[in-house]
Amino acid sequence: MLDKPASALRIRERLIESERLMEETGCYDGITELELRNQDPLKFETLHTKLRAYCVSAREMARRISASPGVREVGEMVVAIYTPEGDAIALSNGIMVHVHTMSRFIKWMIRNGYEENPQIRDGDIFANNDAFIGTVQVPDVMDVMPIFHSGRLVGWAGAVCHELEAGGITPGGDVALAQERFTEGLFVCAEKVGENDELRRDYVIRCERNLRMPIYWVLDEKAKVASCIDMRESVKALIDEIGLDYWMQVSKEFIEEGRRAQLARTRQLTVPGIYRGHTFYGHVTAGKPGYQPLGDPDWLYNIPIEMEITSDGKIKMDFEGTQPWGYHSMNCTPAGMDGGMFVTLTQHMNFEGLVNDGAWMATELKLPKGTWTNPDNEMVATATSWALLLPAYGVFQRLLSRSFIARGFVEEAFVGQVNSPMIEMGGQSQYGTPFGMAHFECAAAGSGALAIKDGLDTAYVGWNPESDMGNIEIWEQNMPMLYIGRSIVPNSGGAGKYRGGCSFLSTWLVSKTDHLRLVTSEHSSRVFDNGGLCGGYPAPTCQKHRAVRGSNIFELAENRAPLAHHTGTNPYRSELEVRLEGKHVTLEGPYITAPHKTGDVFTHSYNGGGGYGDVLERDPVKTAWDVENGFLTKEAAVGIFGIVLDEDEEGFPVANLEATERHRAEMRSRRLARAKPVSEWMAKERERVKAADFAPEVKKMYASAIKLSPRFTKDFSTFWDVDAKSTFGVE
Amino acid sequence: MSSYSKEVIADLVAGTLPWPQTRRIMSAYKDDDRFFKYVAVLQGRVGWSDPILLPVGDHLFICQSGDERVTKCECGHSFGDYRKNWKLKAAIIVRDSEELLREIYPNSDLPDSDWMEIREFICPECGTLHEVEAAAPGYPIVHDFEPDLEGFYRDWLGKPLEPSNKGG
Repeated sequence: MLDKPASALRIRERLIESERLMEETGCYDGITELELRNQDPLKFETLHTKLRAYCVSAREMARRISASPGVREVGEMVVAIYTPEGDAIALSNGIMVHVHTMSRFIKWMIRNGYEENPQIRDGDIFANNDAFIGTVQVPDVMDVMPIFHSGRLVGWAGAVCHELEAGGITPGGDVALAQERFTEGLFVCAEKVGENDELRRDYVIRCERNLRMPIYWVLDEKAKVASCIDMRESVKALIDEIGLDYWMQVSKEFIEEGRRAQLARTRQLTVPGIYRGHTFYGHVTAGKPGYQPLGDPDWLYNIPIEMEITSDGKIKMDFEGTQPWGYHSMNCTPAGMDGGMFVTLTQHMNFEGLVNDGAWMATELKLPKGTWTNPDNEMVATATSWALLLPAYGVFQRLLSRSFIARGFVEEAFVGQVNSPMIEMGGQSQYGTPFGMAHFECAAAGSGALAIKDGLDTAYVGWNPESDMGNIEIWEQNMPMLYIGRSIVPNSGGAGKYRGGCSFLSTWLVSKTDHLRLVTSEHSSRVFDNGGLCGGYPAPTCQKHRAVRGSNIFELAENRAPLAHHTGTNPYRSELEVRLEGKHVTLEGPYITAPHKTGDVFTHSYNGGGGYGDVLERDPVKTAWDVENGFLTKEAAVGIFGIVLDEDEEGFPVANLEATERHRAEMRSRRLARAKPVSEWMAKERERVKAADFAPEVKKMYASAIKLSPRFTKDFSTFWDVDAKSTFGVE
Repeated sequence: MSSYSKEVIADLVAGTLPWPQTRRIMSAYKDDDRFFKYVAVLQGRVGWSDPILLPVGDHLFICQSGDERVTKCECGHSFGDYRKNWKLKAAIIVRDSEELLREIYPNSDLPDSDWMEIREFICPECGTLHEVEAAAPGYPIVHDFEPDLEGFYRDWLGKPLEPSNKGG
């Protein structure tokens, strides 16, 4: 048993002291000298890599215990080892968004006197999916277990899986329809859910009776507990080998080294200064079933970011000027915002796998209170916070990339991530049982272009660097829908000298069910929620949904007539409308309608990434190859890139270089003839601004930003030489 | 420590370096002598002699032009004082109708031009498309980058710049 300390809250005092030491010295836990590292750098490095190996193997083992295709197929899991104070020392690969979220959860328990009640004992299991305590969203359920050695708390082992079903108002994990916390699903708020290495029966029963698909959550819990025990035993064996004192110091030096490494890498790769960018997000729910009239049904968010790289190499991100939280499920908490920073940083700067909380200490986020990034109301819903997180951190990737271009590391410049349209489903499965699932093939969409080559096609997503769409057969086992198509979406990457990676579209036939609820989220409407870089265009990321109810597909199949396998390239008349009869649906905004049944056809597309560079510099030969393989259309080749394609004897496209050169010269002069001096455009546009002659949602966006942000008000007023407040009726 | 020849860096920048070699550069530890070789490659590419101080886009450079520091297009057109937003001296095409948006997005669902317009910032002399913004109508033009030029050269490169009296 833990020998009763003088005060019951010894760990809390240690945490407070650790933070005080950091405040005073600027170094983690006051470690101004990496003594152990200096004494024996090789031992130091080996131990750090060994810790990471414990995490990687624990995660791989745990993935075999899980029943969830999200965890098994797509790796929606990460595990980590922490100091007693709750700072991450080492992590596995996987969903790197959680580098700091579990730290927040552990620290929350320590700060709230858990040592005293419900007490922290060897073999205890604590779980959490409350974003205001420390995670991104309800489906991100984390479990942590304390590590004791010779009667003393020496660390924590933690694991998090993204659950495919959370028991919310709409089926699946990201519960799109939730407008407050109370409909988001099953909450576990920093609760002790197990003792003596075993989950409590009453907790498992609570899961079984609150979830549409308990097998995912419950087996994921067992997988996480198994990985925590595995890491715990490995750490205890390591401490037997290197000694407790050495462990207590080296584990902290790893974090201080992480902090210094992050600052040094920023000084190595970037240029100090101020970087700015923005993107937007549109949400359209007017007339859609299930939305309560708690806020405006349709709205537009602006997401401006100002990044400062200081001369000591610290990266500061400022979200001043963005929008307030709302009665929707896309709010985010500081924990989620940390997560967005990490999932991006681990791809751009600390990719050698040794990322830990040290890197968190070398960055800073300014999250204005009351905005969606830092709601001042803990009852708001965060179920689909990725809808705003991904566009925001796509801006961050473009700002970082501009610093890489300035410093000369062009191979690191990457236009980055875009939003990740989720599809959640539930109802009656093909086996006649209730089911609920998030479809995670969205983990393999298109990436932004690089500064030296095209983006990745159907192989990237910002939130899980191990992008994988999973096998069709596995998905078909878990849902009452059959794939009748999975195809590249031509022109889905943003145009540029280098084009964004393309995404794909899935076409499904609903089968063996008369009650299938489909709900989509995390995709913008009416506006693109990404951008290009250095002349590249944004990817077209406001695609509508196309479906057919009661189609004649069985009849067509019987007569061996051609079916529809994708929506085609004519946005005004889809391939579904050409080939199938039935009630055709083309829907803007989140897809949420009456349940579907056997014979319906439904399509869902993911996003490509933004482009890089001037379209008139694109390589004609690569473009001919792209047209031949369905990544670009012939119209795009000539109309956007100015590339003239002939056909060889077999009908394959071949670039006509002379004709291209002539055509591009014409396009360049037409460009110059069309363009106007910016000053002239501003003078005319200023009249429109003064009259606030904008759509209601645009006016509301400005008014909200002005109300919340003095800086936005000043910048807007200065730029247009108007009084922003009076222009938009803000007191 | 890795280090690469000017020729390799020139091919890397031009996107013509074979992928296996590019891949190795991406995976290796970074070459700390990259910056001045990179600038020398770009200096060799542009047709003018003003010394480049800092690239800020694919074809956009801050350079020392006499005793001024200006933002300059690769064709030589100057956008004035590097501390000011070069876009304000550029030419612009605004795509704020279905027809204009269709030219760039022939096969996709389009944004609602009441909510978003595409702004193309172009060199008024050579017509190079330097930056694209996708913004709500009325949204102020973004000042993308304000580098701490002196701090960068002094503290990070260890080669302080001569004090320049005039900017614009």
